[in-house]
Amino acid sequence: MKKPKVAFFDFTCCEGCQLQVANLGEELLDLLGVIDVVEFREVMSEKWEGDFDVAIVEGSITDAHGAERIKKIRERCKVLIAYGSCATIGGVNGMKNGFDLGEIGKYVYGSSYHFFPTEETRPVHDVVKVDYFVNGCPIYLPEFKEVLKAALQGIPYHVPDYAVCVECRLNENVCMYEKGVSCLGPVTRGGCNSWCVNNGNICYGCRGMVSNPNQKGMKDVLTRYNVPLDQIMNKMGMYNRCREKK
Amino acid sequence: MSSSQYVILRKDNFDGFISRLSKLQKLVAPVSKGHNNFSFEEVTSGEEVAVRYIPTILPPKKYLMPQRETLLEFNVSKGLESTPVVEHEKTTIFGVHTCDIAGIQCLNMVFSTRPRDFNYLTRKGATTIIGLECNDYCDEYASCALVNANLPNGGYDLFFTDMGEYFIVHVNTQAGEDIIEAAKFFEEAGDDQLKALASLREKKREIFKNEVPIDPRKIPELFDKSFDSKVWEELGERCIACGNCTNVCPTCYCFDVKDEMNLELKGGRRYRVWDSCQVEPFATVAGNHNFRKERAERQKHRYFRKFRYHVDKYHRLFCTGCGAGGAAEPAWLG
Repeated sequence: MKKPKVAFFDFTCCEGCQLQVANLGEELLDLLGVIDVVEFREVMSEKWEGDFDVAIVEGSITDAHGAERIKKIRERCKVLIAYGSCATIGGVNGMKNGFDLGEIGKYVYGSSYHFFPTEETRPVHDVVKVDYFVNGCPIYLPEFKEVLKAALQGIPYHVPDYAVCVECRLNENVCMYEKGVSCLGPVTRGGCNSWCVNNGNICYGCRGMVSNPNQKGMKDVLTRYNVPLDQIMNKMGMYNRCREKK
Repeated sequence: MSSSQYVILRKDNFDGFISRLSKLQKLVAPVSKGHNNFSFEEVTSGEEVAVRYIPTILPPKKYLMPQRETLLEFNVSKGLESTPVVEHEKTTIFGVHTCDIAGIQCLNMVFSTRPRDFNYLTRKGATTIIGLECNDYCDEYASCALVNANLPNGGYDLFFTDMGEYFIVHVNTQAGEDIIEAAKFFEEAGDDQLKALASLREKKREIFKNEVPIDPRKIPELFDKSFDSKVWEELGERCIACGNCTNVCPTCYCFDVKDEMNLELKGGRRYRVWDSCQVEPFATVAGNHNFRKERAERQKHRYFRKFRYHVDKYHRLFCTGCGAGGAAEPAWLG
């Protein structure tokens, strides 16, 4: 069987998810045994003009130029994987949506801001059809590999639709709320194996919210632990601002 | 109480006992994780063991049904070749409270029912259980007297009771006796010590009183009458579906089975991982139909699995009164 052609692209992002893939180390060589990487800016200079099987897209769509470019990529590929918070939920770039676009343009680019036309931040699936999602900032590599394998086999990958708490408990972490720290685990989608909490950090909600969060229940939890609502909303806003638009 | 079944371990010898035990086979015991949290972990010395502890982050059932476990390895490059896998290691669990022992007794029944679960049963056979008595309530969430799990009722190889200066130990099985022989720190219990144990048990009957104002025999009937109660809606409104209540439950045993391919897509492994009836995808089936879409229905299901359905099937309540389900949730459903 011919190896599928795979191309990596980036839009508005920090390219950190590409770096994660590059950091696969020896496993990257195994990966190259099953796929033919034809374009990947972070690790190679070659460009590819033809069609390809899988597009792996990082970054969110934040201007008209980006929207046009992603549409063209979609036309050239059979399968599109959005990876990283910017691509899957808008991520940090979504914070822009909380401001007036003209004002924020001036703040960033000064008086010449009109040379840099900008649009509200959108995750990739708001612009083109996305077949697979690898959430997270950065992506969690074991999940990335699972998604890639699913895509190569042509079977679906279901992003877990349950809270980070589920995996966190299986990993036997002391609950952050028990430590007197607020955490977004109870409303954030799992699938990351509670990576941050395992390493002593809180959950920042980078994977987006579960499909059916219990807002009232979560408010009760915050009251019980004496956490002001706006503190949580601020934390939530770091990655999940695009969600409010819809 | 027959004295030959009881031995004494002086507290000075506790450290020596634990370290010798850890050399015989893998030894796990409750250890402190700070913030009044505890978990069962591998230990090699007595000072690591938290002799006083509240229900652990996960119950010791994790040694009998690990959170993630490989069931099968397969290769599809030339037809289908598959090899069943049973992950097991001889393990001693020290310091299991009576609620968790009751939980393991429940799981033993479930996994012995046909089709029998050989992975579980093989591990059960490789596990030595050393119980530890609660002389008083461990915390305010416990309701062990309601379900009669506050006193030892079998299910262990050895059972320790802290008597201050010493532990008095009930030797219940041959495996337990082998430990006593191998560890060499034990002395025969005298009449005074047996009397002290009897009086501690008497005192416990005063301390542990049914915590819930209901006759436990009436619980199944109560559940029959409350299937359509508003209480489930109320619980559903507060539940954040974090899955903690089922993950910490000593008697919850649901799992999901998944296949994981190797990168070259020529083989892989089938594994199982704990699942929870409280999470959104649990009862979702083909066509995206979800049989229990509402959190209220899911909570009701959980309670019925503890207090109603299993009474018909296994003739006992599947709640051990540990209180962990309520205490572990950020939402504190109780």
